[in-house]
Amino acid sequence: MSKKIGVYICSGCGIGDALDMDALAKVATKEYKVPVCQKNAFFCGKEGVEIIKKDIAENEVTYVVIAGCSGRVNYDVFNFGPSVVLERVNLRERVVWTQEPDDEDTQMMAEDYLRITLAKLKNLELPEAYVLENCSRRVMVVGGGLAGMTSALEVAKAGYEVVLVEKEDSLGGWLKKSYKIAPLNAPYTDPEDTGLEARVKEIEGKSNIKVYTSTTVEKTAGAPGMFDVTLKQGGSTVEEKVGAVILATGAVPYEPSKLGHLGYGASPNVVTQMQFEELAAKGAIARPSDGKAVQKVAFIQCAGSRDQEHLPYCSAACCVESIKQALYVKGQNPEAAVYVFYKDIRSSGQYEHFYKKAQSEGVMFIKADVTGVADDGGNLTIEANDLLMGSPTMADELDMVVLANGMVPTTAFEDAAYGTESQDEAACAAADAAPVPAPIIKSNILNLDYRQGPELPSLKYGFPDSHFICFPYETRRTGIYAAGSVRRPMDMSQAIGDAAGAALKAVQCIEMTDKGAAVHPRSGDLSFPDFQMSRCTQCKRCTEECPFGAINEDEKGNPLPNPTRCRRCGTCMGACPERIISFKNYSVPMMGNMLKSIEIPEEDEEKPRVLIFACENDAIPALDMAGINRLQYSKWVRIIPVRCLGSLNLVWINDAMSKGFDGVLLLGCKHGDDYQCHFMKGSELAGIRLSKVSETLDRLGLESERVYMTEINVMDYDKVPKIIDEFVEKIDKFGPNPMKGF
Amino acid sequence: MTGFNVSSGPLKYDTEFAKEIYALENGRHIKKCMQCGMCEVSCATRKEMDYSPRKMFLLMRTGQREEFFNSNTMWMCSTCLMCKARCPRGIPIVDVMHDLKCYAISEGYTERPQATFYQAFWTEIWNRGKMFEGGLVARYYLKRGWKEIRKDAFEMKDFGMDMMKHGRIPLKPPKSIKGLQDVHKIVEKAKAQLQKGEDR
Repeated sequence: MSKKIGVYICSGCGIGDALDMDALAKVATKEYKVPVCQKNAFFCGKEGVEIIKKDIAENEVTYVVIAGCSGRVNYDVFNFGPSVVLERVNLRERVVWTQEPDDEDTQMMAEDYLRITLAKLKNLELPEAYVLENCSRRVMVVGGGLAGMTSALEVAKAGYEVVLVEKEDSLGGWLKKSYKIAPLNAPYTDPEDTGLEARVKEIEGKSNIKVYTSTTVEKTAGAPGMFDVTLKQGGSTVEEKVGAVILATGAVPYEPSKLGHLGYGASPNVVTQMQFEELAAKGAIARPSDGKAVQKVAFIQCAGSRDQEHLPYCSAACCVESIKQALYVKGQNPEAAVYVFYKDIRSSGQYEHFYKKAQSEGVMFIKADVTGVADDGGNLTIEANDLLMGSPTMADELDMVVLANGMVPTTAFEDAAYGTESQDEAACAAADAAPVPAPIIKSNILNLDYRQGPELPSLKYGFPDSHFICFPYETRRTGIYAAGSVRRPMDMSQAIGDAAGAALKAVQCIEMTDKGAAVHPRSGDLSFPDFQMSRCTQCKRCTEECPFGAINEDEKGNPLPNPTRCRRCGTCMGACPERIISFKNYSVPMMGNMLKSIEIPEEDEEKPRVLIFACENDAIPALDMAGINRLQYSKWVRIIPVRCLGSLNLVWINDAMSKGFDGVLLLGCKHGDDYQCHFMKGSELAGIRLSKVSETLDRLGLESERVYMTEINVMDYDKVPKIIDEFVEKIDKFGPNPMKGF
Repeated sequence: MTGFNVSSGPLKYDTEFAKEIYALENGRHIKKCMQCGMCEVSCATRKEMDYSPRKMFLLMRTGQREEFFNSNTMWMCSTCLMCKARCPRGIPIVDVMHDLKCYAISEGYTERPQATFYQAFWTEIWNRGKMFEGGLVARYYLKRGWKEIRKDAFEMKDFGMDMMKHGRIPLKPPKSIKGLQDVHKIVEKAKAQLQKGEDR
C-alpha cells in the first residue's frame, strides 16, 4: 500500500480562535512535506467528511490525520473503512480546552502534537489480521451443572456446536441433589421444582450439543480458535477441537467437619444444608437420630463463611437456601418453630420477596453471633449473643440444627498429583524478585498446556476471575470463560444469568478469532506482536511477564507466541530487553520517533518540557475529561498515549532523557489487590521496571525523581491538574536537564 | 434509652407470646419486621418512649411480656403516621400500636393515665355521640383518684381556667346527636366482624 498522507485541521469548537491555523498547516506541509493538507471549520459535519472521502477516493490518500477533537469522540463519523490508516490529533481536549488561547506556548504544544502524529506515521502500517486456517467454531463447556447446562443451551441456541463435559455419570450437578430450588419466577415467594428433567431433555434434543458424561479433561492445548482438548472417559481418551472454553465446574460445600464449634459431629441432628435437602427429598422431614417429625428447627447462617478462620468471603447462596429450607419446615407444619440465626440476610435480587414470605410464615430471623451448640440429651440448645437485644440469648428444645456451610470453588483444591511441583515454582518466582504472578492452583480441571501453569490463575480465594466488576467471565486466559459459582459465590438465578453471559463471551471469542481480531478488551484490534527471532536471547522475560500466558516456550527458552491468545497490551514489547517484539502499528522505534519529533527549546529559553506517557484505558479518558471540564494544567507537558503502561520499554525513558526532556511522568491504572489495570499487571510491571531505571539515571548524574509514575482512574479527572502541575513544579526545582542540547 | 431493662442471664426465644400478638387485628404484619429501624428514626415521640416500635417487636420475640406491656411505647404514639408511611415492609405500625393499647387494657394494664383518658374519652363519645369536655375531665379525675386531682388542681389551675374562659370546657352537657342508636349499631357490627376475624 502506498503511503500518501492527508492532514485535515479542524478549526471548529474554538480551535480556530485559540490557535494559528496557518502555522499549524505549515508544520504539515513544510516540515513533513505532507502532500494533502486541508482546513475546515466543521470536519465532523456532512460536508467536512465528504472532503476527506473525496481525497481518499480521488487523491489516493491512504493515511488520514485529523487534527481536532479527541479520538474518543466522533469515531463513528470518521470511519473510512479498514484500508485507511486513521490518526487523530487531539487539539481540542488536550490543547485548546486546557491551555491559554492565543499563546505562544499553546501554539507550540499544538504543533508538537501534530509532529508526534506525523512522526508516528513513519513506522506505522496497516495491521494484517492473523487468521487461523481452520478456526474451530465449537465451544467446550466443562461442568454439567445448572451453569454448564445453561451455557451449553445458550451457545447451541446461538447456532454453535457444543461439547459438554461432565465428570459424573449424568448431568445435573447440585440440581440432582436438591429437593426444590429457590424461585426463579415471579412472584418469587415459593420454592420451585428443579426443572432438571426438562433441561436435560432440552439438551438431548439439541443435535449440536455433544454430551460426555463420566469424563474429565486430561489436557487442553492450543489457543482460542484451536484448542486441542484430550478428554478422558474411563480408560479411553477422545480428542476434541474447540474454539473456546466455558468453565462451569461450580463449587462444593465447605467441609463441615471443620465446623465443630457449631456442633457438627456432636449430634446426628446437626446437619449441613445439603444433608437437610436430602432429608426433605425423602418426604416428611424427620430428625436423623430417632425419626421424630421436626417441631423446632434452627438454621445457623455463615457457618464457616465470613469467618477469618474459615472462608473469609460471603458464600452468597446460603441465605436464600436457608429461607427455602425454612419454608419446607413451615410447609410441613405451619406451627413449627423455625429460627434463623444470621449475620446479615443477603437475599439479593428478587429474593427480598422470598425473605418476606418466610417472615410472613412465621420464621423468626435472629441477628446473632452463635456462641455454642449443645446436645442436652436428644434435644439441641443454641446459645448466642443477640446483636439487636444486646444480650445473651438461647433457643432450646431444638429438634435439628442446620448449618449453612457455604461454598468453595472447585478450582481452589490442589490436586495431590501436582502439589509438590507448584511449590517449587512458587519458590522460583519469589527468588527472582519479579512481580508475583497470580497464583495458579493445580486443581486438575482443565490441565492447560500453558507455559505459566496448568490451570487458570486465581484472583482471590481460588476463584479464577480476573476482575469482579470490570470484566466478568473473563479469566486471565483468553478464550476461557468462567461462569457460575466457580467464578464467584452465587445463587442459582445468578448462575443462570452468568452462564448466558459466559456463553455470549465464548461466541464473541470465536467470531473475533475467526476474523483474526483481538477479543477483549481491545476488541477488534487486528494487530498482534511480531517476534524477530534471530535476535532473541532466550531471556524468557516475555514468556514470564505476559499476564495472559499467551506465549509458550520451547526447551531452549525461545518464545512460541500464540497470537489468538494475545490481548495486544504490548507487555511483552515493554519487557523485551532486545526490543525484538513489535506490532505493525505499535513498536519501540515508532514511539522513539514520536518523542524525538517534539521540539525541545534551548536551555536559556526557560521553557521546560515534560513528557507524559499515559495509559489509553484510564489516564487518557481522565485527561480528556479534564479538558471537557476546562481544567487548566501546565503548558510544558507533552502527552503520548500508550496501550498499557506494561508496554513501556525503558529505552523510551533513555531516549526522552537524552533528547533533553526535563522529566517523564507515567500515568497508569491502579495496581494491587483492587487493581484497575485492563491488562492486570501493566502498571505493576511498569513500576518494577522503573525501579531499575532510577539506578541508570543516577549514574548519568540525573536525579532519579525526574521519572515518576503515578496511578489515576477516570473518576479522578479533577486531580489531573494537581498531579501534572506538582510534577512540573518539582522538575522546575531540579533545573533543566543537563543533557539538553547534546 | 438504648438498652433493654431485661433480666440478666440468657433470654429464651419464645414463640408463644409472639403468637398472642400476631393474633391481634394487625398483629400478623409484625412478622415482616426486618429490624431496619426506619420507624425508630421517623418517630415524632421517640424520645418520650421507653422502647421504639422496632425494639418492642424484639421484646416480643424473647417473650418479655411484662416489660412489653409496662413500657409506655404504645401510649406515647401520637399517630402521626410517619412510621407507617415509611416502613419498607409496609407494616401499619400505627394500627399495631392501636391494637396494642386495646390489648393492654383488655389484659388489665390500665395503670397509665393515657389508658384512663382513652377509656373516659370513649365513654363520653358512646353516651352522646359527641364530646362533652367537662364530663371527660370529671371522668378522668374520678378514676385517677384524689392524689392526682390535688396535684393537677395546683399545676393545671391556670391552664384549666383559661380553657373555661374560652368556652373549651363547658359545664353544661350538650344534647346527644340524632340517631345515636344507629351509631351504636355500626360500632357493634364492626366489633362483631372483628370477632369473626373478617379483615377490613
